[in-house]
Amino acid sequence: MRRHTRRVFNLCYRFTGNATEAEDLSQEVFLRIYRTLSSYQPAFGAFPTWLTSVTRNLLVDHYRRTRRDRQTDSIDDSMPQLEEKHSSARAPDKLAEAGELSIQLQRGLARLSPELRESVILRDLQGLEYSEIQAVLQVPEGTVKSRINRGRIELARILTEMGLKPN
Amino acid sequence: MDWNCTLTEERLSDYLEGKLSPAEAAAFSVHMASCANCTETVALVGGLVSQMHKIAMVEEPPQLIAKILDATLGPRTQKESWRQWFGWTSVVWQPRFAMGLAAAVASVVIVSYAAGLTPAKLKKADLSPTNVLRSANRQAHLTYARGAKFVNDLRVVYEIQSKLQPEPEPMPVSNPAPAPQQEHNSIPPNATPQQKSQSSPPASHTRVSSGPMFAFLLTESLADNLAENSINSSYRSAR
Repeated sequence: MRRHTRRVFNLCYRFTGNATEAEDLSQEVFLRIYRTLSSYQPAFGAFPTWLTSVTRNLLVDHYRRTRRDRQTDSIDDSMPQLEEKHSSARAPDKLAEAGELSIQLQRGLARLSPELRESVILRDLQGLEYSEIQAVLQVPEGTVKSRINRGRIELARILTEMGLKPN
Repeated sequence: MDWNCTLTEERLSDYLEGKLSPAEAAAFSVHMASCANCTETVALVGGLVSQMHKIAMVEEPPQLIAKILDATLGPRTQKESWRQWFGWTSVVWQPRFAMGLAAAVASVVIVSYAAGLTPAKLKKADLSPTNVLRSANRQAHLTYARGAKFVNDLRVVYEIQSKLQPEPEPMPVSNPAPAPQQEHNSIPPNATPQQKSQSSPPASHTRVSSGPMFAFLLTESLADNLAENSINSSYRSAR
């Protein structure tokens, strides 16, 4: 239970970048799981995969629902990011720390398109296999591979732009 | 194999995960050696991926699991804890235990009243062992004094009664005085002495001699009351 909760919460947190939203979404995921547990069939794949795909569908719904809100306050977001660039330039050695990287990564992920974002999160932060990601996203393996690849390259460029050198 | 920058980007993940064929890997390395841009990109992405694999999962808020359980299975902690804490009382409320409990409470109440502890007038000082002992001692003395007085009174009453009502047989012989008065009572003369004594007590005689007797009783009970009061006051002054 704890393991599943953590996975779901992390996926939501990495995708939305907001702990409170992630908490509400995780709760919604488990509520949906609880209600549709009777309709679960082994044909859908292993339970963790099914859990991940339910979470992902909910995240996509949530993303579409809140798109308009995000567009209106994206201008406000650009200011703190500029400030952050200055502060990170002042203490570059601290960026190597895992906590700091986690925060920077969160900002970088937020600037990726949702398709690339979810692919990178599932592969590199959740550690899923390509076949599992394919089952979750319901897209061909070639698409999964190319999304992960493009996501990684774009994320590396975004982080470099932000003044972080991940090497 | 002809390798270019676009191909490097496309196969970057395969390179990092070691999924390139030996020929592809060789061509990849040859291109990297000649292209500074691609070398930098590969280093950046490789560093990012290895760092991302090292990032630990974020810890979920502690209340999340409880919230999920509440939302799915319904709130349960309160109910269960109630049952946990008060589950044993169902045993106590069986009739045999309940009756035993009631009897125990009743006996405690009786004993505490006998010891002079009235819950209504109970003060904190009354609960100290010395005070409890003292009041119990006093109560015992009072009870004994009352009992002794009652027995004394009873004895006096019997003595008086035995003086006023002598034995039925010797009455006509030893006490001829009531004889004239019996004429007023219209009792047939052939009635037995026993009937006489039962139906008509020697009223005037008692009335005559009972005066000083009652006075005596009164004074004695008055003296007892005085004694009791003096006991009380001595205890009060001791406290």
